[in-house]
Amino acid sequence: MRTGFLGLDIGSISTKAVIIDKNNNIIADKYIWTEGNPVNAVKIIIEYFRNRVQDINIISTGTTGSARKLIGVMLNANVVKNEITAHAVGTLSVYPDVKTIFEIGGQDSKLILIDNGIVVDYAMNTLCAAGTGSFLTSQAKRLGIDVEDIGPIALTSDNPTKIAARCTVFAESDLVHKAQIGHKKEDIIAGLCMAVVSNYLNNVGKGKTIKPPIVFQGGVSKNTGVVKAFEKATGEKIVVDANSHLMGALGAAILSKRCASEQPFDFNITDIVFRTEGDECKKCSNNCEIICFYKNDIMVDAWGNRCANGDLMHK
Amino acid sequence: MMVGIPRAMLYYRYKELWETFFSKLNIKIRISEETNKKILNDGINFSVDESCLPSKIYMGHVYSLIGKCDYILIPRVVNYGEGNSVCVKFNALYDIVRNTFGNIKILTYNIDMENGCFEKKGFLNMGKVLGKSYLDSIKAYKNAKQAQRTCNRRKADIQNKIMDRKDKLKILIVSHPYNIYDKLIGYPVIQYINKLGGTPVFTDSIDRRQSLAESKDLSKSLYWLYNKELIGSIKLVEDKIDGVILLTAFPCGPDSLVNELIMRKSKKIPTINIICDELQGEAGLQTRIESFMDIIIEKSEKYNCLKRDESDFAAGY
Repeated sequence: MRTGFLGLDIGSISTKAVIIDKNNNIIADKYIWTEGNPVNAVKIIIEYFRNRVQDINIISTGTTGSARKLIGVMLNANVVKNEITAHAVGTLSVYPDVKTIFEIGGQDSKLILIDNGIVVDYAMNTLCAAGTGSFLTSQAKRLGIDVEDIGPIALTSDNPTKIAARCTVFAESDLVHKAQIGHKKEDIIAGLCMAVVSNYLNNVGKGKTIKPPIVFQGGVSKNTGVVKAFEKATGEKIVVDANSHLMGALGAAILSKRCASEQPFDFNITDIVFRTEGDECKKCSNNCEIICFYKNDIMVDAWGNRCANGDLMHK
Repeated sequence: MMVGIPRAMLYYRYKELWETFFSKLNIKIRISEETNKKILNDGINFSVDESCLPSKIYMGHVYSLIGKCDYILIPRVVNYGEGNSVCVKFNALYDIVRNTFGNIKILTYNIDMENGCFEKKGFLNMGKVLGKSYLDSIKAYKNAKQAQRTCNRRKADIQNKIMDRKDKLKILIVSHPYNIYDKLIGYPVIQYINKLGGTPVFTDSIDRRQSLAESKDLSKSLYWLYNKELIGSIKLVEDKIDGVILLTAFPCGPDSLVNELIMRKSKKIPTINIICDELQGEAGLQTRIESFMDIIIEKSEKYNCLKRDESDFAAGY
């Protein structure tokens, strides 16, 4: 039996998982929609792996992404890491000399600057989700096309329409306006891709020095229209890995491997009933929302409290 | 007689001064509770939407004191002499509170040095309002001043000891004291830093006079005194710290300008800007601080490894 390491990246829109071997080669991977239920998404992935990688002994697990804590508790992961570090580690394992990482996901976008193989600076979008995957999805819906088709359609345009994309709400009305005055659909779609890029470079990339080689990853990197727009805006070659959507998961797996504490993985986890319950602590006027995590109706963890009062209530 | 003090805004700067002054005059004080969600929500209800988070919190604290004391202390600060003004919020708080709550008794003093309103004069006047003699008031004020000085010096001494330690990762929190010590704004940030193995050090425990002098190197034309102290303090300690967190409450006007200045001018140390608002996205906060700490830890590890043995490092990483 070979040994393997499991890495999961549970994002707001999609859940990504990889199993790697000792040399960081991806043995198995899976990409599915989270659909607002991270626990269920992870179960589907584990079930998928169970049937395919029977000869592999998974000895450690790492999680990242916005549901990292929840899934970390569920799978008893030995590493629970933030997205920035996980993405950087994942990408560095494939492109050791990378200097800049663009990452655009479903609801957030990040810029990671790397010098000599270590992260030296990063930036994330703030409250606003304009210029992320969900922005493209909603605009594609409005135009009546699939989000997967945005890239190929955008490439056919010679004259992208300028769209004000500082804010999703304005972008939407501007987009309707441009369509009504007769701009071609492919030009509008190419304009959307340009808008995503200019939004990203102006908001997230504000004041940062972007040096090549540049690697672009996250779900939106699969969109060839956006990749082209990035190349136009930066004047540099943009590298998109075939596994660009899996880099976070890969990073989580590598981090759990480095951690060197073995935590054998049990595929029977799919048979266990996991349940979360929100509760409001009433011990002081903060009224913290506490999330209790139940495994087969036994509470295994709780979080969300600001002070020790909440601890006592649940443990 | 009981004087209520809102635990917000300038309280964190003048804590010792106020507390000693009133106790020497035999006047009981009541300090509002630590900020909690109720105080925040009350504050939001009594403020205009565009107000900044700390001033909303301030209104919540004032509201929580109404009916529980005879006076509420609300100073009005305009400037500390020419070229040393402060955010207009400190100028306006007295009037905002008076116009919002109407029927409460406010104890106040003015600091407007350009127009001859000095702190001492204000305190003596407060003593008069509270029915104390001139002599008692001046004695209490002198004691209070001394207490504040001693306290500041003690804080600086403790922090200097921490800063001289080589075995800790020191993160300088550059922020106004009313952000740093607020239970809802700064406390979660400090907690995360501690949890992730860092040691927070604070700008308000660094000598103010020296900081102010130092700030002239970064900008000669900046006029907000509190922000000048902040940028000067970074310069003073930049060789002793590993990272800088600029903690801002949304939407602080002076900070938005000065943080940009800091980001552009001091490129030596890893710096991030964290903006807190009333919506409290804890997840975003956690991710940002965690990755920032990762950067610093990795950097210092690499640095230490390099120093230890170059070849060893190449094989082990």
